[in-house]
Amino acid sequence: MTSLDHGKFTRVTTYFHTLLALDVFLLFFTGYSVMFNDELWWMVEFMGGNASVLAIHRLAGLALIALTVFWVTLMLIGPGRRKNFRAAMPSPADTEAFIQDVQFVLGRADERHPNARQFAGYESDEVPLLSYIGKGVLWIFTVELVLLMVSGLLIWNKVGLSEFYQSKAVVMGFVTFHGLLGVIMLMGVMFHIFEHGFHPAFYPVELKAFVAKDAMPDHEDADSDADHEGTGIERLSLRPSWGLASNLMGGAVAIGIVSVLLASIFDEGYPVPRELAVGGGPANLLLTVGVNIGVFVLLVGLVLSTYGNVLRSRYESQREREEVTAADGGEPVDDD
Amino acid sequence: MSSSDDAGGLSEGLAVLISGIVGIVVALAAVWYVTGLGDASTEALYRIDPTAGGGELTGVGADWTAGNTDPLLDLLVALTHAADVLMGAFVLLMLFVHWGAFRRLASRMQEPQRSPSEDGVAADGGQRTDGPQSTPSEASGGDHE
Repeated sequence: MTSLDHGKFTRVTTYFHTLLALDVFLLFFTGYSVMFNDELWWMVEFMGGNASVLAIHRLAGLALIALTVFWVTLMLIGPGRRKNFRAAMPSPADTEAFIQDVQFVLGRADERHPNARQFAGYESDEVPLLSYIGKGVLWIFTVELVLLMVSGLLIWNKVGLSEFYQSKAVVMGFVTFHGLLGVIMLMGVMFHIFEHGFHPAFYPVELKAFVAKDAMPDHEDADSDADHEGTGIERLSLRPSWGLASNLMGGAVAIGIVSVLLASIFDEGYPVPRELAVGGGPANLLLTVGVNIGVFVLLVGLVLSTYGNVLRSRYESQREREEVTAADGGEPVDDD
Repeated sequence: MSSSDDAGGLSEGLAVLISGIVGIVVALAAVWYVTGLGDASTEALYRIDPTAGGGELTGVGADWTAGNTDPLLDLLVALTHAADVLMGAFVLLMLFVHWGAFRRLASRMQEPQRSPSEDGVAADGGQRTDGPQSTPSEASGGDHE
């Protein structure tokens, strides 16, 4: 029933997603431990001090450029990839999906719109390649990544930039601009972790981005899907820890988003102050706790990304065992 | 790899290889270019108009004033702050909408099994059922009843 909830992405896409996630987490951990140094001083020490952190940040930045250019090139020359541009274009249905999502939460709609649905079940055929959130993530991250790479390259060599602008303060302005740009992505990634890790049908991780479509079994039961109304989510049982985990994580994501937003205003760094500015303002302690909760959310995301790959690997091994067993002439059996 | 939806002449493998090479070359070239900018010659550094600030800041610190009062950069930073706040509010809205939607979806699902020891535990942490071997979504949380 649920097999078609996955397998929309190619194998290259799933590997790319994993590599990009690892790289972006590394960039967040290094970049924001420097920008929010008042709150995340321990991370700088943990990662070997300022010089080490910035060296890792630059290496990860280099990898980000390589990954992004790789992806754009593949979208242009890869077989069958250009049609994905059409699939990623915003449509009026996406606005309807957003409105219906709000109505669904308020109890004024019975179902989520197909363009919003993560769990499709029996109605997989109605669900597009990307949800309205998926499209938003794609376009916002694309714009963000381009701006972050350009501004990152500009501040890579501060001597070169300061020679060009004849001012050290302008260089610090560009550093601030770079850090503030990333805040949008930082908040978006926190939400992304909640969205794909804490859906009740998929908790603790949605495998769409990990299991490629060529690893999925052929869906031979399409006729039976027509016999059912709705997605069939009522046939699934909830995990015992979902309630507590989703509430804790939802709260952590909200606190994390608000905190990094406030910290980005307090710890801005431009205009460059005349005096050494220590601390994050009057909400110092709360802000420190909040920003650290935000970093914890990222850590959970990193763990879940790794777990998704572990599950994919186990699933593929299981499929191989089934095929070997079936090739013997016997029925695939559960022999664990 | 999906080569069945081939619309062009390239195979998936070749396209990945070419894209990978292009990505690495562009990344290295970009970093090589920016690291080559500026030779740190003191002759070329900080030649801000020494009369910046009406003559009081002659020489030392003039570049600080000029850099701190760049209107374009000020605007850029202010705009980015505004974008952060707007997007932050939007992301929070999306979070609460999804949180609420997830709770409503969860209420339609079956109550959790309270005696997992009877069912055993699968290697991936999911619960073993009597049904056929699970698909990935089931392995990650959704068990048939």
